[in-house]
Amino acid sequence: MIKVSGVTKKYPGRLAVDHISFEVARGEIVGFLGPNGAGKTTTMRMLTGYLPMNSGRIEVAGYDVATQPKEVRRRIGYLPESCPLYPEMRVDEYLRFRAELKGVKPSARRAKINEVKEQCGLTEVGKRIIGQLSKGYRQRVGLADSLVHDPDLLVLDEPTVGLDPYQIRQVRELIKQLSEKHTILLCTHILPEVEAICERILIINEGKIVAADTEENLHRRLHACSIIEMEVKVDPAVATAKLGGMEGVDIRTANTLDGGWLWLELEADTSDMREELFNLAVTEGWALRELAEQEHSLEDTFVQITRNRESV
Amino acid sequence: MSIFLSLFKKELRTCFLSPIAYVVLFFFWVLTGLNFWWLLVQLADGESLTMATQQMFGGLICFSLLVIVPLITMRLFAEERKLGTLESLLTTPLTATELVLAKFAGALVFYLVLWLPVVAYTIIQQNLAPVEVHQFPDFGAIRAGVLGIMLVGGLYISIGLLMSSLTSNQIVAAISGFAVLCILFFAGLFMAYMASNPAARFFGQYVSTYAHLLDYSRGIVDSRSVVIYISYTVWFLFASVKVIESKRA
Repeated sequence: MIKVSGVTKKYPGRLAVDHISFEVARGEIVGFLGPNGAGKTTTMRMLTGYLPMNSGRIEVAGYDVATQPKEVRRRIGYLPESCPLYPEMRVDEYLRFRAELKGVKPSARRAKINEVKEQCGLTEVGKRIIGQLSKGYRQRVGLADSLVHDPDLLVLDEPTVGLDPYQIRQVRELIKQLSEKHTILLCTHILPEVEAICERILIINEGKIVAADTEENLHRRLHACSIIEMEVKVDPAVATAKLGGMEGVDIRTANTLDGGWLWLELEADTSDMREELFNLAVTEGWALRELAEQEHSLEDTFVQITRNRESV
Repeated sequence: MSIFLSLFKKELRTCFLSPIAYVVLFFFWVLTGLNFWWLLVQLADGESLTMATQQMFGGLICFSLLVIVPLITMRLFAEERKLGTLESLLTTPLTATELVLAKFAGALVFYLVLWLPVVAYTIIQQNLAPVEVHQFPDFGAIRAGVLGIMLVGGLYISIGLLMSSLTSNQIVAAISGFAVLCILFFAGLFMAYMASNPAARFFGQYVSTYAHLLDYSRGIVDSRSVVIYISYTVWFLFASVKVIESKRA
């Protein structure tokens, strides 16, 4: 659906996007992650044909962005970062205007507008003036606008920014529903969003794609070891001696808790070490009340990937 | 074409929803009203009837256009840039040319609405005319005058449009538009009427919008000035298209 190859964008005195390449297949939901200023929005803008690139080539649905911009734009539904709208227009007016611009056939226009209004929960506010709507509703108007011409590809630049938690959940649900019919490129720096929605992740940092994989693969690649938490009732010195003697286990932290309990954070070669740790506790006669492997959060992975890059 | 039409409709709607439009309308209509009252006073004092049309289209009203037109055009692109809607417009299948032409046409229609009172004044003059004068008001001169204000208005609007496309600040767009129009207007005016060098005077007659408006409202349509106005208007619109195509971020 999207094929980006060797794209570079320079701003005066700054290289915003440095020779990036990636692909998105039809029907995928891909999260496009990166710290602020990493080149996310610039990439989105080049993809939608708003900004010209300095070198490289972008294809959307087989059409070249540089030479066939009309064909590309017809197939992209783009929600820009700030969700720009005309505050003086009514919701219905705005959607009709946008549908006209995007070449929705007059006969299908009304039905299509009603459909996207229903999808985005705007049925009741059709007659309201956009400037008087809450941020959440405005965001949904922007989303409805990006859907109105039934695009193959949806490019959403931070669609939940500025929403309250309840609205964020609603928008996420909506995006999930949309993914059944559309290819989606979701650009954000809100990690739980990506974890909740996306199948695949692209991470961009300082203008370069630093990772492109599924979430699990990224974790696996980055975390060769696993972190195990353990709570046992034992004297710290004894525990340190016994655990320290085990092959493939290192103690990262040890905290004594009330009632003689000891909380340990262990770095182990594999998560299978849990069984051996359990056996150790049984043979030593330690009371054991917790033994768990820490889940890697995407946040850890993200921080690690983007920080590694900086140190290179 | 349908894209142009929906953009044009949207321009008109936005224009008539903005408070600035009504402030401009109010002041311009008061001004033309005063101008017409002054004309009637002069006619009652026995002034020649031939100057009537000139006073409707030329004279003091010319000066007010320098302020009025930038106030109409300042919003056109500066507001789109400010709101970020330029990005959402240019990522739909429209071209920058369609966008610029729609904005130009919208502003021109509003500009012509400003001149609507002239229709009323013409009717009033017709009814006030003494029975023995058959040639009053002079409809030929009025038609030429209308052509003149359209040509001059088109040029002014295209200049204001270019200024608005260069910035995201409406005030900057208005002031720079006003500055460029003033330079154009007064340079022409001074050269045409006050320069001691005959060559400068001659050149001034060619470029002074004031002189042209006076000519038109006398019923003189000089094809040279028609060509100047149309070609400069096209040039400024072309420049605006290029600015919109290249200056995005």
